[in-house]
Amino acid sequence: MNNRLKVLRAERDWSQAHLAEQLGVSRQTVNALETGRYDPSLPLAFKIARVFGQPIEAIFIDAE
Amino acid sequence: MTPGQKPKRPFGLGAYLLLIGGVSLIAGVMGGITAVVEEAPDPIGPVVSAVAMTATMAAAFAACIWWWRGIDEAAREAHKWAWWWGGTGGTALGAILLTTLSLRDAEATPLQVGLTVPELVTAGMLTILLFQIAGYAIAWAVWWLRTR
Repeated sequence: MNNRLKVLRAERDWSQAHLAEQLGVSRQTVNALETGRYDPSLPLAFKIARVFGQPIEAIFIDAE
Repeated sequence: MTPGQKPKRPFGLGAYLLLIGGVSLIAGVMGGITAVVEEAPDPIGPVVSAVAMTATMAAAFAACIWWWRGIDEAAREAHKWAWWWGGTGGTALGAILLTTLSLRDAEATPLQVGLTVPELVTAGMLTILLFQIAGYAIAWAVWWLRTR
């Protein structure tokens, strides 16, 4: 699944470490999410949406 | 977690080393106890050995639960993926290799290789376990390297 995490993070000038701290995950996990190699669980997706103040569907794009 | 409160930071290398160190320490103590009572008459020796091994396994299991709850979901996914693909692949490879090597000289007796039958059974079991762990470690590294 594609996502706009990297763009949203860059817009806020946040580092991966900062976003990881906000989400309660490791920096490596943020990297895995940004590269699209790992799709988050629903609870983590909701947490990401809360942190960026955007709905889930504005962050994660269904490739199908 | 209440709103506004910072989420808990997931476990890192420090917690992992604490887990390995703690379990190794317990295993060492239990191994020492087993070695002391090894020569004791039946049933004291085998019973104490079984209790010590069970206690070590229980401690390792409890430590793993503590650590598993502390890591984040991607780290868990990496371990689950590695356990399935790496562990299964490693076990299959080890079993094929061990069977092939064993059948090269099916007539060989335990005395010829310098090991007793129980020692051979244990060595076979540990060899398969070694392959399983090696496969697991490789698959775990591959999972994380793919995200780079």
